[in-house]
Amino acid sequence: MPGMKFRQDMPPPGGYGPVEWAQKIPRRGLSGYAIFGVAIGISSTAWILYHFERNYKRRYELDMNDARIALEPLLEAERHRAFLKQLRKNRDEENMLMKDVPGWETGTLYGEPCYHNQAKRFPDVKPEEYFIHSRWADMYDRIWERRKH
Amino acid sequence: MPFTNADWLPSYDELTVPEIEMSAAPLRAGSHHFGKYCDFQCKEFMLCMAEEKDPRKCLNEGKEVTRCGVEFFQKLKNTCAEEFASYWTCLDHARWDMHFKECRKTRGIFDKCVFEKLGIEKPELGYFSKVRVHDTKRLKPKRDIPLPEPTPDPPRAEDVPVPETAKQGSRFLFYP
Repeated sequence: MPGMKFRQDMPPPGGYGPVEWAQKIPRRGLSGYAIFGVAIGISSTAWILYHFERNYKRRYELDMNDARIALEPLLEAERHRAFLKQLRKNRDEENMLMKDVPGWETGTLYGEPCYHNQAKRFPDVKPEEYFIHSRWADMYDRIWERRKH
Repeated sequence: MPFTNADWLPSYDELTVPEIEMSAAPLRAGSHHFGKYCDFQCKEFMLCMAEEKDPRKCLNEGKEVTRCGVEFFQKLKNTCAEEFASYWTCLDHARWDMHFKECRKTRGIFDKCVFEKLGIEKPELGYFSKVRVHDTKRLKPKRDIPLPEPTPDPPRAEDVPVPETAKQGSRFLFYP
């Protein structure tokens, strides 16, 4: 095209910028300090809540414990009476059962005492002795707690 | 049978007293106030069992506890029956372990009623769990256990004369 003025392509004034040769990774998310801060914040909040929850539970368990301890003498007294009643029943039963056997004494093996009990302590009554006059299966259930209370 | 005819077992008449015929839920519902009402009797009974370790000797204390319990629950029945019933019904349906947690509302009403009509204040938290001193007039039980003759004390090493053959000390020692 005639009449057009020749113009040489030149670099921009001030020159080209530096060549970007390094890989560019965009920075995303929080900084390291911020992450630490968030972690510490969550942990401390959880710790505080845990302490509150623990105290709350402990208070209630203490209350339940109180109730159990307060009732214990009542239940224990009744249980002891029932226990002694059954022992008495067992002894009467044995007296009646063994009245025809010559030389038999209740609570002993033909006059020989079962236990060495000079201090007259209350003996440890075995469940086999306690349930002796019931059916074997019942005794088994009681001893091994097969029966649901 | 660990008991002979010579051993003392209480008769049926001694063992038969009016018992409390209640299930677990009402007992638990009234437990705190029962403990406060029958504090002396309960302590006396538990002290007896701790000292004697023999249910035959603590029968009277146990009867006293049961009598007190019957009296307390009769009183409850005469005064705060409705509040008590609603409270223990709530407890019965609360959880598998009848936890107090679920029944705060009915419990508050019940406590208030008992305080107003029976004058029993609800014991503070942990009252029964802490160690409480009991002032009693019970005598300390005496034990007459026949003990064997005491064995003689072993002789002291200084008093025993050194035999002639051991004048030089032990042969396992390198220095005298």
